[in-house]
Order: sequence, then C-alpha cells, then structure tokens
Amino acid sequence: MTADAGGLPSARLIRLFLTGRRVPAALAAVVACALLLRIALHWPWNTYGARQLPLIIETGCAAAIAITAASPFGDVERVTGRWLPLLRLGIAVALTPVAAGALIVAGTGVHLAGGASEVLRNTAGLTGIGLLCAAVLGGALTWTGPIAYLVLGVYALYTRWHPPALSTPWIWPGRPGHDVGAAICAGLVFAAGLALITVRGARDPVGDRG
Amino acid sequence: MTIAALSMPLLRLELRRNPTRWMLPPIAAVFWFISFRASTAYPPLWNVRAMSMQTSVVTVFAPALVGAAAWMASREARRGMTDLVACTARPRWGRQLAVWAATTGWALAAYLGCVGVLYAVIARQAAWGGPLWWPAVVGAASLPAFAALGFAAGVLRPSRFTAPLVAIAAFLVLETSVQLIHWDQPYWQVSPLVAGPWEIGTDQGVATFYRYLPDLPIAQVTFLAGLTAALLGGLGLTAGAGGRWLRRSAAAVTVAGLLAAGVATGWAGTGRLDPHGMIAIPALHDPADDRPIGYAPVCRDTAIPVCLHPAYAGYLPAVADALEPVLREVAGLPGAPVRISQAAATYRSGPANEFGVGLAGPAMTGTPPVFQLLLPSQLPGPIRPRDDLVSTIRTDAGRDLVAVLVGADRDPSPAQQAVMAAILHTSTARLDPDTAVAAQRLTALPAAARHTWLAQHLAALRADRLTLEQLR
Repeated sequence: MTADAGGLPSARLIRLFLTGRRVPAALAAVVACALLLRIALHWPWNTYGARQLPLIIETGCAAAIAITAASPFGDVERVTGRWLPLLRLGIAVALTPVAAGALIVAGTGVHLAGGASEVLRNTAGLTGIGLLCAAVLGGALTWTGPIAYLVLGVYALYTRWHPPALSTPWIWPGRPGHDVGAAICAGLVFAAGLALITVRGARDPVGDRG
Repeated sequence: MTIAALSMPLLRLELRRNPTRWMLPPIAAVFWFISFRASTAYPPLWNVRAMSMQTSVVTVFAPALVGAAAWMASREARRGMTDLVACTARPRWGRQLAVWAATTGWALAAYLGCVGVLYAVIARQAAWGGPLWWPAVVGAASLPAFAALGFAAGVLRPSRFTAPLVAIAAFLVLETSVQLIHWDQPYWQVSPLVAGPWEIGTDQGVATFYRYLPDLPIAQVTFLAGLTAALLGGLGLTAGAGGRWLRRSAAAVTVAGLLAAGVATGWAGTGRLDPHGMIAIPALHDPADDRPIGYAPVCRDTAIPVCLHPAYAGYLPAVADALEPVLREVAGLPGAPVRISQAAATYRSGPANEFGVGLAGPAMTGTPPVFQLLLPSQLPGPIRPRDDLVSTIRTDAGRDLVAVLVGADRDPSPAQQAVMAAILHTSTARLDPDTAVAAQRLTALPAAARHTWLAQHLAALRADRLTLEQLR
C-alpha cells in the first residue's frame, strides 16, 4: 500500500485496490442486472411477479457488491497500510447507491412495483447481509446470505396474498416501501455490515473453502 | 457406470471435502421456516400438504444448490490448479462428475431428512390416506438437475461472481416460469414448482376421492433427468474432458438427455385439467387412475346422518353442527334425504384460464334419496376459519337442501320462498311484504306443528300448487 506525501491514498493505489477487489466486474454485473430489469419490466406481470422481480434483481446487485469485500491478498495486504479500512468502506458506500440508482433508472418510465424507496431499502439491506456474511463466513461465501434472505423475502411477499402474512420488519421485502420499521431494520443491517467490513474486512483473505 | 466405478474413491474424497454440507443447516432452517410451517398450517390432508411442499421445497433448495454447485465447479480454476490436475490419470469429466455427485449427494441427504420429518408429521396428523410420493420424487429429481445447472455454469465461467449470479438467474427463471402457465400454453407445467393445476392453486378437493395422477410428475421427472444428463454430458464434450470413447459416451448422454427433456416438455404441453382436478397427459394417462378410491365414510348421528370422506373427518363435527337445525326441520318429510353424503368435486376448464368446480350431477340422487354435499373447503381458495366454514355450510348447503326439498331450486314461487325462509329461519327483509308475512306466520308455529303442516303440504308445494294464502 502506498500513499501520497500528504497522507491520502494515491489514485494508483485506489485503482489497484478496485481492480484487486473486482469492482469493475461488480459494476458490470450491476449494469447487467439493471438491463435485465429494464427488459423484464416490459413484460406483463401479475402483482406477485411484479414485486418478486425487482427483489431478485436487487439480490443480484447486492451479491455482486458484497463479493468485492473478498481480498485476494489477505494478511499481506492488511499489514501494508492504514487506508485499507477506508477503502473497504468506500467501495461498499459507493457501490450501493450506484446499484440502487441503476435499478431505479432501469425502472423509469415503466411500472416498477414498490418504487424507488423499496429498491433503495432492499438493495442496502441485502448488501448489508452480504457484507456481514463476508465478515463472518468469509469472502468466498458472501453470496449465501443474500440468496437465503431472497428466499425468505419472496416468501414474505407470497404471504401478502396467502395469509398469515409475515409482518416482522426484519423481513423487509414483505413490507411496503414507506414502512419506517422495515427501512430502519434494513438500514441497521447495512450499517452493521459496513462497520464490520470496514473494521475487520472479509474473514478468509487467502484461499477459500471448497 | 464405468465413470462411476472408476471414481468411487474420488467420490468419497469429494464427499468429505465438499462445503455443501456446511450449507445444510441454513437450508434446513429455511425449509422449516417456509416449507414446514406453511405445510403444517394447512389442514392435515396429504393432498394439500404434500403438493404445497413440492412447490416450496424446490424454491428453498434450488438457489442454494445452484450456487454451491457453481462454486464447487470453479474450484480448480479459482485455486489455479487447472493445469496441475489436467495431467492426472483421472479424466477431467470423471473428476467433474465426482464433484457434482458429492454436491448432489449432500443436498439429497438434506432433502430426504427435511421431507422425511415433514411426511412423518403429516402421517401422524392425517386422518386418512398414505404418503403422496410423487411430490417428493419430483422435488428429489430437481436437485441433480439444479446441481448440474450450477455446475455447468461454474465450469464454463469460473469466477467468484458465477455462483451468486447463476443462483439468482436460476431462481429468477424458476419463479417467472410459473407466470407463463396458462391452459392454452401449458408447456411450462414441466417446471418442478408445479404440483397441480397452477391456476387453481392449493386445493383440498383433489387426490382424495380419486388417485393422485402421476402423469405430470412423470413428465417432470423425465424432463429433469434429461436436463441433468444433457448438462453433465455437455461437460464431457469439450476438448480435454477425456479420451475419444469417453467423449462419444458424453455425446450420447447429451443427445439422450436433450431428447428426454424435449419429449417431456411436449408431454407437459398436452396436459389438461381432468374432471378430478389433476393434470392428465394423454400419452401417460392410465385409465385405471380414473376409478374412484373406495372408502368407508365417517358419519354423525344427526336427525339425518351426515357422512363425510374419512380424510375430512376433522370437519365432521363442524359440518354436523352447522346442518343440525335444518336437518331437524326436514327429517322425516316426504322426499327428504336419508343421508347427507359428501361428494367429489368436478372440475371444468374454460377459455381464458377460467375454471369451474362443482357437483357432477344433481344434489339429490338415488332411492331412497341422498343429498350430495360439497364442502366449502373442497373448493379452491384460501383456508377458511372454522366459523366461516360453519356459516357457509349453514347458508349454502342448508339452503340448497331445502330448495331441492320444496322444489325451489329454479325460479321459486312466493309460497316456496316463504317456506324456505321459515325452515331456514332466515331474514324476511328481502322478501316482498306478503311473502314475508306468510314466512313469519309459518316461523311462529311450534316446530312440531310446522313439521306436521310441511308433511301434509310438501308435495303440493313442490308441485307449485300452493299459494301464499294457503300457508298458515
């Protein structure tokens, strides 16, 4: 890790860091998800399908963002500089609104069930779950949390038409976009994920299971 | 078989090293939260519980298994060992199949454990019938296919992004496939999510009086087996997968798999709603499955005995209590039924995804007459609470019974309307004033006097020879 004389990380350092974390690939995945959403929204969907679709795409974006938490260098990287936590935080903080923005733009002009607020809430919450998985399970398995939560979220949506409905705000996809409790829960999970990934980074820096 | 025999030590090694086993506890937890809770929330009937299990269990296992298989498939590339293992004696296809088999094996073990527990609970609670195995078989057959799908993606594109993206893509395709199911476009019924007529949904009226039709499950299992073979066979076609004979075998497996998947999709495309509420496929249909299943009804000793199919024995007290007041009024009247007997629902599909569910014939049949009853819970729709069920039976079945008895099943006369209101003790607010007065007069009579009057005049009333003035 290198830094300018003034103490700020150099552009080269940032570029190398982003490349090492596969941020360009993650951005490409986010753009692909947004395009998929745009194309899919032109099809006729029933109410349940229209709410499922954005959630599934949001999970794809969140998984792609969380994957960037995995480091290919591990301890070697951890001891080389003090900017690492900030860079880890920066990636997650920057990519999450980019992903939410891309999906909102993809839904502009067509009917995006739940609207922008649900996209922002779900993307942030799912990304938080992915970051927590990176810190607890390891960078290799970041995707398991968002995907498991996706199944729960889709089930929560299903129960809106097939009672008893899952009403806990911790399963926020089942709640409407203006629900404050759900937004707080998603925000807390996102904040916890950010905090943990900033302080500790992904758990298994070298190699992976399997 | 050759590949399998050669790879047994490798398979044991892969089973020990496979990380899918660490994903089993979370999968089991999600299964409990979604499949187990939802299934056991239904009434203790094998049909609804097993069929709802098939749909939800595939949803639970599919994304995790696709992701795990993709992750395992990209292991050699992620660790930079592709060249190292390429020079081992074992053909690459054989190594890959061992990894896929280990991943599938762990998933199947978890599946069998989860479904086994659920089926044990259903068996303990269900009043009648035995396990419906076809929903469990379709769910089990979907696991190798999803593992093969993820595995093929992981082999073709070994990247850390592959596992989550292919898992989510598979989930998206799976969930959206059911959006495309229509009577006039039934090919998507081949999806393992589909356990019965998709437009009807969870329905207590099927697979009780008649067998659970295996037509669609056979098509689904054939499709899933074909898909698995095609995907795994395709991996053996690439250069370096193995020797010439091995690649030829892989080609044969791929072609056979594609053919099986295509034929099965064609079968699903010919599937239609049968009169008993299941999907019948002409090429696979066994006419023996159309014969009703014999059973000994469970009855309640009311004024007129109420008898239900033993699978619905849990409803008997509520049904009997709901009908008891009406049955006391009509018992012993000329033409009154000697028994109220639950009947099978008959299904009819119409244009634009419409369907109808009802009795196959008239409500009153036979000599001596038996009144055919269709429970509200036999009709498609959400599960009704007990109070709602009682109220619906009292209103609908009670009214139908009295209407048939007084001959008012079509265009009732004022006298027939008045008698119906008196027997059912319903409000007279909607009747015209003269009819309402006549109904109130009859209602005010002591029950025994009303019964005697009905016994004397019911034949004339049924023949529409009675006027309002002739009502006491």
